[in-house]
Amino acid sequence: MTNVIVDILLVLGVLGEVICVAGVLVKRTTMDRLHFLGASTTVPAFFFLAAVICREHVSAGGLQAIAAVALLFLFFPVALLALGRAVRQIDLGDVRPRPEERVES
Amino acid sequence: MNAFVIAATALIVLIAPLLFFAALTRPIDGAVALSLVGTLATLATLCLAEGLHRSFSYTVAVVAAVMTVISTLVFARFLGRWL
Repeated sequence: MTNVIVDILLVLGVLGEVICVAGVLVKRTTMDRLHFLGASTTVPAFFFLAAVICREHVSAGGLQAIAAVALLFLFFPVALLALGRAVRQIDLGDVRPRPEERVES
Repeated sequence: MNAFVIAATALIVLIAPLLFFAALTRPIDGAVALSLVGTLATLATLCLAEGLHRSFSYTVAVVAAVMTVISTLVFARFLGRWL
């Protein structure tokens, strides 16, 4: 039974990553690509983590797998935000919102 | 060959089109593709560690996760400043 669950989790994880890679390759704007890049470290990564924990349980290997996925999940958004700011700097010349982008408070 | 090794192989195969994309497109899009390569490499290392029963390889996955975040930050910093 555990083997079937692990297989399903791995298939779901790989499918998730395939969707993210396809999104990065196919989407037209860099901001759209960033959405798929961010998604790659969330749901698919946790599928892989769940598959590893099904096998390893809470051993040293399982804990290190948790650490690797948690690092990606918690800190990759910081890098994603920096990439988004760089994209605005390159495309628009400034990271601050333009007049038409201001939200009325 | 078990399921983890097959999954790692699939993840490594996914890296190839991203490398082509990074080589052909503008630099900031290449940085996005390379960040995704880092994520895929981290997860592939995780799967290989489990599939090949090499417990020390989990450390490689942790280091790869840290380096993926740091390299993305460095790419963003320098591309945003100089392009």
